Amino acid sequence: MYRKQVRRRRAVLALLIIGSFVLLTITYGQGSNGVQRGVSAIFSPIQAVADGALKPARDLVNWFDQTFDARGRNSRLQDELRVAREEAVGKSAALAENAQLRKLLELDRSGAIPSGYERVTGRVIARSPTVWFSDVTIDAGSGDGVRVEDPVVNGDGLVGTVSAVTGGSAQVTLIADHSSAVSAKVVPVAVQGVIRPNVGDPADLILDFIDSTKHVHKGQPVVTAGWRSQEIESRFPPNIPIGEVTRASIVVQEASQQVHVRPYADLRDLDLVQILTGGSRG
Amino acid sequence: MILTSKILARLVAIVLLGVILQLSFFSQVWVFGVSPDLLPVLVICLGLLGGTMTGAVTGFWVGFLLDCLLVEPLGGASLVLLATGYLAGLFRERFEIHSPLVPPLLCMALTVFAELGFGAVELMLGIDTSISAMVIRDILVKGLFAFLLGWPIYLGLRRILRPALVEEQVVRRRRRPTVLGA
Repeated sequence: MYRKQVRRRRAVLALLIIGSFVLLTITYGQGSNGVQRGVSAIFSPIQAVADGALKPARDLVNWFDQTFDARGRNSRLQDELRVAREEAVGKSAALAENAQLRKLLELDRSGAIPSGYERVTGRVIARSPTVWFSDVTIDAGSGDGVRVEDPVVNGDGLVGTVSAVTGGSAQVTLIADHSSAVSAKVVPVAVQGVIRPNVGDPADLILDFIDSTKHVHKGQPVVTAGWRSQEIESRFPPNIPIGEVTRASIVVQEASQQVHVRPYADLRDLDLVQILTGGSRG
Repeated sequence: MILTSKILARLVAIVLLGVILQLSFFSQVWVFGVSPDLLPVLVICLGLLGGTMTGAVTGFWVGFLLDCLLVEPLGGASLVLLATGYLAGLFRERFEIHSPLVPPLLCMALTVFAELGFGAVELMLGIDTSISAMVIRDILVKGLFAFLLGWPIYLGLRRILRPALVEEQVVRRRRRPTVLGA
């Protein structure tokens, strides 16, 4: 009796392990499949409701975290912290949302986004729990005109690209995800390269494969270049702000053709984003 | 664990609620720059209460649901979480839990194991970029959060699943005569 039970347990365990490997083999590199689209379609409304209900609690926890984080920063950031505190205490959630939308509008008006793109605004309703994947789910999907590979921005700059779409939601792979690669250039020196993530640190990106004969300096802005190579999966319109150079040692530039970039968008604290649909595609 | 349709419904509800809470709340809050990971803790506690099969099966389905909702390659999270749940269940079947510190400590150790497992699966599938040392900090802090979350989740789940727990039944039966005196 006991042996039978042990055998049955082992069979279930083996079945689960084999099942996992089979699923992994079948679905790896395919993007979304029917099962995922179905489950996602069922859970999207529930996630949206849960997201809305839990937002105040989330904001409260994040407020504490941001406060602790800000204490360790230098005097330049102290001023930003004061402003953030004033915002947290004095403004309601609606005002904060308004500010985000204004920033998106400013980005539109600045001419950074070329004509021909339709803008769809979405809210982040879920995000990946592990540090290995950097992606978020938003509450806008194919029903709103969102398509796979559409670029995603927020008021500060480039956020990522749409990697999967269902009727009412979409998966956005952030530029900090290990699978992300974005063609970029440093302005005004026009040094081109590829923005790649530093897995585990969403506040640090690497501008790789740059021309080592042209020197890049700390503080120079980095924007999308708008070209496409074999290794890069999606196309971004040119001149969308990505971030600014934070570390640019001449020795490192010459040795490894890399500089470090801090993204303008806070990829850990995304709320409202804009998906650029339409436009030219390769 | 004695599985009845009622208990099965409770387990399904726990898994669904856990995944939705993780994606809508825990993944979006930042404490000391790291967001807590509830799901390994949930699977570990279920393994500690129900044994290897409960741990492995719930781990598999939690992982499957997570991969579905995040549109990741199916099977990766299932593999890691089923191993985590199985190990927690194995501990329960081999050792007695005498100290209240055991569940949180085990949650901490196995969460670190699960996070390393997620990384191993990713490396297996191929990461073509550099990995920051911040990953280690992230994994360790997640382990610390698991320690803090472990005891309340373990107690809560034990309460919800009490009718199905074999040990609880034995304790109840033993306690009955002592009501009269002693």
